[in-house]
This record gives sequence, C-alpha cells and structure tokens, in this order.
Amino acid sequence: MRRHKRHSHGVTSIDFYACQSRLRRWNGCYKVCSVAVILTVCLVLDNPWASVLVILTMGLINLRGNGVSLCIYLGLLKIPIAFLMLGSLAVAFGISSYPVGSMSISLHWFYLYITRETLIKALQLFLRAMGAVSVLYLLALSTPASELAAVLRSMHMPKLLTELMHMIYRFIFILMDVQQDMKTAAVSRLGDADFKTSCTTFGQIGGNLLILSLKKANTYYDAMVSRGYEGDFPIWEEQKSVKVWQIILLGLYIGVLLAVAVISK
Amino acid sequence: MREEIINVQHLSYQYPSGDLALSDINLSIGMGERIAVMGSNGAGKSTFFLNLNGVLKAQTGGIYYRGKKVGSKELKELRRHVGFVFQDADSQIIASTVEAEVAFGPMNLKLPREEIKKRVTQALEYMDLQSYRQRPPHYLSGGEKKRVSIADIIAMQSEVILFDEPAAALDPLSVDLLEQVLAGLSREGKTLLISTHDVDFAYRWAERIVVFDGGKILADGSPLEVFLQEKVLKQAHLKKPQMLKVYETLSERGLIEPESYPKEAGELAKAMIG
Repeated sequence: MRRHKRHSHGVTSIDFYACQSRLRRWNGCYKVCSVAVILTVCLVLDNPWASVLVILTMGLINLRGNGVSLCIYLGLLKIPIAFLMLGSLAVAFGISSYPVGSMSISLHWFYLYITRETLIKALQLFLRAMGAVSVLYLLALSTPASELAAVLRSMHMPKLLTELMHMIYRFIFILMDVQQDMKTAAVSRLGDADFKTSCTTFGQIGGNLLILSLKKANTYYDAMVSRGYEGDFPIWEEQKSVKVWQIILLGLYIGVLLAVAVISK
Repeated sequence: MREEIINVQHLSYQYPSGDLALSDINLSIGMGERIAVMGSNGAGKSTFFLNLNGVLKAQTGGIYYRGKKVGSKELKELRRHVGFVFQDADSQIIASTVEAEVAFGPMNLKLPREEIKKRVTQALEYMDLQSYRQRPPHYLSGGEKKRVSIADIIAMQSEVILFDEPAAALDPLSVDLLEQVLAGLSREGKTLLISTHDVDFAYRWAERIVVFDGGKILADGSPLEVFLQEKVLKQAHLKKPQMLKVYETLSERGLIEPESYPKEAGELAKAMIG
C-alpha cells in the first residue's frame, strides 16, 4: 500500500497500520468489546505478572497481526513510557525530614527516600498502565477511525456524530495534504526565513486553509448532490461476522490472565 | 438519426452573485453520442454540466430528458440518469474506503444491499480496482483516485456521463487507461460528454464538438466542421489539432489524398500518396 506522501509519522502512521492490519477483517464490535474486556481485567487484577503477560501478548499481536515493525512500535510506546516513568518515579519517592526507608538521598533541607513497598507499588503501577496502553494500541493499530465510527453507530450513537466522524476522518487527510503543499510553497519562497516570517506564514496558511475549506465545501456539496444525496448520508459498512473461535480465544485469554493472577498470589 | 436523450432549450443560468454563466443554450443530445465540450476557462462548461446533471437549476429555459421536461420533482430522476465525474477526484471522494465510496451513489438510489454489492464489484472490476477495495482514498495516487471517481458513476449505471476535464493532472499511462475506459463506455452505448482543452484528443475521439464562449454556444458540429472554422478557433482561443495541421500542409503539397482527413497516425500513413 502506498504510504502517505510526507507525514508518515504519528497519527498518519497509526492510521496507515490500521488500514493494512491483518486484524482489519475482524468484526469491529468484537475488537472494541474484547479490548474493553482485556483492559478492565488488566486494571482490576492489578497483578504485575498478568500485566507483563498483557504487555507481551499485545506487543506480539501488534507486531505480528498488525504488521508494525518493532522499531515503529517502540517509537509509538516512547511517549507513554516517558509519562509513565515520570509518574511512577513520583510514586516511588517520598519526602521526609529525617532519613528513612531502604535508601534515602539527602537534599540539605529534606530527604528523598525509597522504601521497598513504594518501589514495588511504582513498578506495579507502571506495568499496569503499560498493559492498558498496549491494549489500546491494539485497538488503534487494527481499527481505522471509520470503522470505530461504524461501531459507535451500531451502539446507537447519534447519527449526526458518526456522520461527522466519517467526514472528519476523510477531510483531515485532505486538509493535511493541502496544508503541507502550502507550507512547501511558502518555504520555497523563504517563508521561514526567520521567526517572525515563520509566524506570519503560519497565520497566512491558516487563513488560506479556512477560505479554501469553505470553497471546497461547496464543490463537495455539489458532488454529493450529483450522486443523489438528499440530506441523508448513507455509509456502506462491510459486514464482518464474529467467528466462534474468536470468542473462545478471548475467553481462553481472559482465563489465562485470571489463572496467572491467582497463581502468583 | 439517433434517438434524442436530452434536449436543452433556451437555458439561462445566473449565479447568485449576479454573473450570467449561461445564456440561451439550445442543444439536442442523441443517445450514445460522444461529445467534446470545449472553450476557455470560465466559458460556462462546468456550469452547463452542473445544470445537465440537475445540481443547478436554471432560472429560465429547461431541460427535457427523453422528451419529458425536468421540473423540480424530476431533478432527482435526472441525477440518477446523468452521472458527473468531477475534475478534482479529491472533491468528489467522500467515503473512507474505496468500497464505501463507490457504494455511496447506489445507496442514495436506495437499492437493496445485494444489488449495491453487485454493482460495486462490477464497477471496481471495470476500473481494475478490486485490490483497492478496502483502502482509504488518502493512500491512493492521483490516477487511482480518478479511477475511483469514475467507478463511482459506473456503479450508478447512468445513461449519460459527464466528465469535467478528466485528463487534467493525469500521467500519460493514466490518460491511456482513461481513453480505454471511454472507448468501453461508448461501446456499451453510454452517452458521453467530456469537457476538455485538449484539441488533439477532441479531434480524435469526439463525434461532435460543442464550443462554449462567454456562456453561449459558439459552434456545434463534427470535429472537422468546428476546427475548419478559423473564426471560431480564434474567438474561443482554440488551437488547430496537430493532425489537421499536418493534413493541411501535406494537402498543399499534394502529398495526401484529398478529403481524407486522417485522425490518427495509422490513418495518416494510409492516406499518404507515394
């Protein structure tokens, strides 16, 4: 599949992988439900071994099933890991006016200390949150936004919102393309010569995008009307049935998670 | 004489801004005709197409589809029978997968699901897009998007198809593919109207050329009739097709059969004397 022209990182690359994922053929509702179940189990169990298992299995599915390369996957995990590290450090360290715990650092006015308990707690928290992040990545990397909209629709979300989701999903890419083209054109004319020029350029591109969007909206409306649009935006959804073995697989997985949690206690 | 499919009578269209885009257009279109619509930018070609398709409603005059006047109620019917492939595929593609995009028109026709599926499959096969079925349009190239936008209309099974500058911004390979598709559609008896600036293409492909200028029809006739009128070419800023120029040069020197008017290189070779 053709990779999006220039901005093949961040949101675009998540969308790219979601579109070519092998799990894309699976029923959207099933994916959302199983992710919700695994997420809940992972959070409720609060068991480090179960969390590690979730991180590993989800990672494996993301690499194998969703076809994401290890390098990209680690890149995607980088930001959540950074946040979780900072959060966990805050949990691990305590402040005291006298030296306590298994390790303490004197900072002249007070002591930073770590105890075995806080360390374990921080680790547990980190693993639990990482498990949750991996599960959510499983959903993000296997289900394009349009399919999520379809799931929400089947859950009786107001039609207006799902139609908007569909259109925004389509137009965000057009908008990004146009913005990128304008930016290239501006840079080629030294629109980024210094900070002040860059700011002006940025503002002008924003203004142009608005005008262009309004103009394009008219053309879109004409194009839709010419194909019989009458105020009701029909969305074709592929019907993907849930297989029995998929449900069994989910059941087994949850069973294993519970077993791991029980045994490790 | 061909059976008439669309008849446009005294059609005038004024934009809300007050610009008169079309004034007193009269045109009769026969079934299965291949018409090239020419004229400079802003001559009224696109507005004319939007009127033919029922997106815009003219203030005066009217359109008759198969002898029946198209009123406000029949506009829907007109859109069903007349398909419009927009110039910029990105302004036409609305859905988030190729399959959903092609299904948009048939779904608006309120067809049963099985029928929609059948039509989508046929249209995708026609445009050689089967392997793109599940892809989102933003990962397609320009030529591929154009093919999707044509499949959109094929799935609606319109009898008349309007193309607004279909070859604009396409690479030569995509243009070849496009011409093959046009030939195929023509063989199937579809009525095709194509707005284009490419005089060589129009000369080669069209049976009839309609030239617009300033919202009026300046000339209407066979390619030869139109391109031999120097006055028309000058007023509409059209160039003479290369093949016609070559013919005229050879004709002056007596190197080609008189009145042969070749349209392609092969025909030219046959018509040469000696």
